[in-house]
Amino acid sequence: MSDTIQLSADQCDCLQEVVNVAMGQAGDSLARLLGVFVTLSVPKIEIVAPADVHRIMEGKYVSVARQAFQDGKGKHGLRGEALVVFGDSSFRELAELLHYDDQDMGCVAEQELLLDISNVLNGACLTRIAEQLGEELFYSPPSILGQGERIAQMLERDNLHWESALSVEINYKLENRSFDCDLLLLMPDSAISHLAGKLDQILEDL
Amino acid sequence: MSIPLLICDDSNMARKQVYKALPASWDVDVSFAANGVEGLQAIREGKGEVVFLDLTMPDMDGYEVLRQVREEGLKCVVIVISADIQPEARERVMKAGALDFVKKPINGDKLADVLRTYGLI
Repeated sequence: MSDTIQLSADQCDCLQEVVNVAMGQAGDSLARLLGVFVTLSVPKIEIVAPADVHRIMEGKYVSVARQAFQDGKGKHGLRGEALVVFGDSSFRELAELLHYDDQDMGCVAEQELLLDISNVLNGACLTRIAEQLGEELFYSPPSILGQGERIAQMLERDNLHWESALSVEINYKLENRSFDCDLLLLMPDSAISHLAGKLDQILEDL
Repeated sequence: MSIPLLICDDSNMARKQVYKALPASWDVDVSFAANGVEGLQAIREGKGEVVFLDLTMPDMDGYEVLRQVREEGLKCVVIVISADIQPEARERVMKAGALDFVKKPINGDKLADVLRTYGLI
C-alpha cells in the first residue's frame, strides 16, 4: 500500500457513472468501426500508485498507445497521459475482425491498428468524460509506447513522470469474441485533486 | 392514487439523476433498486408500475430483467435509461418489451418528453 491520493466512495460512484456514459459513446464508435454489437460492462475504477503499476494487466505482455491531454489551464488543471493498454490476444481478435490477414500483420500494421483503436477509444471516452465535468480537453497525437512488453518496463524505459494513475478497466465483449483493454490515465496528484473537486460539484448539484 | 415508480440502476448518482429529473407535478411513489435482482423483486412486489431501468448492471442486467418481466407476465411499463447508445441496443430492448429507450445522461426535459409521448403525464 502507498499513500496515493484517494477518492471518497461518493466520488468513485460519480466517476464510475461519468465513465459509464463515456464508455457507452466509445462502445458505439467501436461497434461502428468493427461492424459488431458490443456488450458493455460496468467499468472498474481504481487509483494506482507508480509502485503498484505492475499489477495492471497482471504483468502480462501488452501493447500500449499513449496520448497526452490537458485542459489548457496549466499546472493545476486536468492534465496527464492517456494510455490504452491491450493484451496481446485482444490484438489478434481485433485484427481478425478488421480482416487483416497474417501477411498484413507486420509490425507497422499492428501499430496502425493500435493507433486507430486508441484514437476511437480516447476520442470518444475522454471527450465525453471532460464534457460531463464541464471541461474541454486538448490532445497530442497518439504514439506507440511499446509492443509485446510488460507495462512496468515501458514506463520505466520512457521515464514518464507521474504521481497517480486513474485506472479504468474496460471490458468489451464482442459477439462471440471477447477482448479487453485498460484505459490508464496517468496524472499528477494536482490533476486528481482537480478531478475530485469537479466530481464534488456534480454531486452537490444533485 | 400515486403511481408506484421504480428507479433501477447500480449507480447511486444515476438513481439520483433520474429522481431529480422527475416532473415535479407527477404523483408518484418512488422506490429504488441497485441491481436487476432487487429491481425484479420490487416489480413483483408491485413497487414498479412504471420502471426506469439501466442496462449495464452487476448481478442481473437490464436485458435479463426485461426477459423475466415478460416470462412472469408482470404488469409494468419499462423505460430503459442507458449509456449504451448503439442503435442495436435500442432495437434489442424494444423487442424485449421496453416502452422506450432514453440515452444517458438524463435530464428533466428529456424525461418529460418521453412521459408525455406515452401519456404518462
